[in-house]
Amino acid sequence: MKKLYIFLALMALVSPVFGVWLANLIGYHEPLDVAADMINEVANETLHKVILQDVSDQMNWTPLKDYTVPGLPDWLGYIISAYIGLAIFIALWLVARRVKKTR
Amino acid sequence: MHIPDGYLDPISAGVTWAIMLIYGFFAYRKAALGKNLEVVVGLAAAIFIAQMFNWPIPGGTSLHLVGGALAAIMLGPFEAFFVLLLVLLAQTLVFHDGGITTLGANVINMGVVAPLVGWAAWRLLSRYNKPLAAAVAGWASITVAGMAAGFEIGVSPYFPYAWTISVPVMTTWHALLGIVEGVITAAVVEYLLRRAPQYVRV
Repeated sequence: MKKLYIFLALMALVSPVFGVWLANLIGYHEPLDVAADMINEVANETLHKVILQDVSDQMNWTPLKDYTVPGLPDWLGYIISAYIGLAIFIALWLVARRVKKTR
Repeated sequence: MHIPDGYLDPISAGVTWAIMLIYGFFAYRKAALGKNLEVVVGLAAAIFIAQMFNWPIPGGTSLHLVGGALAAIMLGPFEAFFVLLLVLLAQTLVFHDGGITTLGANVINMGVVAPLVGWAAWRLLSRYNKPLAAAVAGWASITVAGMAAGFEIGVSPYFPYAWTISVPVMTTWHALLGIVEGVITAAVVEYLLRRAPQYVRV
């Protein structure tokens, strides 16, 4: 299991190539956003209203929204976010291992 | 596939949260979490990192592995629920990827529907051809989960006619995206069967 976490830590270093650089290159949109735009387009024609509105920005609770870190370039924020996520799972894994040992 | 805040009305959000909690209780009783907890957490970490790899698709979108079918093939659908629940909790609470009001719907789509559909397809087809079964499982899991997402955002007391629009759009779109999920699922399952078959438990 340790090897897996080392491998994932190395993968995290490469992740901005896909999550930031290539995403910016093609003008990335979440597939659901694209589908929502299509739905809104049809709904606007048939129901005469836009029905799907993302209000994430109005009710945000984290400074790390969308895997960014305030004040840091996107690629570095993306790597740090990956490591924060990984740290959470490693902490959970350590707890799981301890629970298993105590049983 | 992460539904953001604002796409579901309060009633739909409440109902999907309730379904998530009820299914979670059922899955907790069915899953052998005590035995598999380390693998569940390890797989959740792997899917979390895999989901940070957005593969660009011509036309201005990109996609990443969801992993519901893969987790179900490796551990079974009930353990897979907890894998995806951990991933979605971290993504939602720490990175606001997916809404808090829509967490129930997102867990249903990616943690309930995708693993159950992927698991059923794998169980049905794996005796004939394992890579093909894994590919179909991955593809079907995303397509049906996309359909479920379309149903959730369409069925709302505020917009009673919207599901006839949202379901076809979401299903068609995710049926296309599901091809890549199928290919990745098949590749990982094939690799595991050759190198570490103990991790393909279903």
